Amino acid sequence: MELTFEKHGSITIIGLNGRLDTTNYIEFENKLLEEISQGSSVLIECTHLNYISSSGLRVLLLALKKAEKTSSKLALCSLQTGIMEVFRISAFDSIFSIYPYKQDALEKLQDQSK
Amino acid sequence: MVHLVQFTDPNSREMEKALRAIPKCPGTCIFVDIVSSTAVKYTTDIVLWGRRLNNTFNFISLLNDFPENIVKGIGDEMMLYIPDEVLIKKDTINDYYSLLEEIYSTILNLQRFPLQDMFYHCKLSIHYCTDVYNVTFLKGFNDYYGRDIDLTARLMGKTRADRLVFSETFYRKVVSELCKKGISKDQTCLNHVSVKMVEEFKGIPKPVSYRFIDV
Repeated sequence: MELTFEKHGSITIIGLNGRLDTTNYIEFENKLLEEISQGSSVLIECTHLNYISSSGLRVLLLALKKAEKTSSKLALCSLQTGIMEVFRISAFDSIFSIYPYKQDALEKLQDQSK
Repeated sequence: MVHLVQFTDPNSREMEKALRAIPKCPGTCIFVDIVSSTAVKYTTDIVLWGRRLNNTFNFISLLNDFPENIVKGIGDEMMLYIPDEVLIKKDTINDYYSLLEEIYSTILNLQRFPLQDMFYHCKLSIHYCTDVYNVTFLKGFNDYYGRDIDLTARLMGKTRADRLVFSETFYRKVVSELCKKGISKDQTCLNHVSVKMVEEFKGIPKPVSYRFIDV
């Protein structure tokens, strides 16, 4: 899996490309938690994420809890249909802010950060 | 491939031949049990416990990743058997370490999910089996028999909510894979593993070594 990073003020966009599973979740966890602990709000861009396992979901849950303890916001955008289905059946769609488009997500996070 | 053994003559020589011809089928046996779902049926109605069971079964990704390897279920307890030849062909969960880490993550996610009354907790036992046969005595069924299946079932007696119990045999398999990949145990769920326990179990002639992780 490849991670990409983009900065928009206090918001970091992390792009996930490929499969998020036991072989790479530690790298993603380290990077995501580092951004949150620095006070950044994070948008996880999932256009090119084509698989997520329980280990990947575990990182997101951990990050959400960490973000709640700080002033950081966490959101996801552009989930493929299969990934959205995983979020729906695991009820992750009820605990995360998920947006269909990157621009909408970015604007929302910027509003919340004001 | 499951071998059907069904003879009407109890002393059939053909049966002896058929039984001796069945090859062993090494793999990983997993027992999963949903915690408290029996008790809750006496205090709530089908909509409440049924919904939570539905959600929990959906959440246990292992059941979705290996649907063809669910051998049997009795109520909310299930047995999965994943032959080695099936495991190595998978795209993602294709080794013992991935299997353990995914199961650990599932238990952790269930335990830490922020909304109440959405899921049940669960408990599991895992064993790497060599003494197992893919055999059924009932037409149209798939099943696995062998000493190692019995041992996995016995390990369930050592589980409790949010606990994974696994045999030393399975643990050694995982550790060996981590060594080959150059991954430190501290970076994995084995960071939380117990010391080795040794106990005698009913019906198992030798003491059994096992470990557990309390999530």
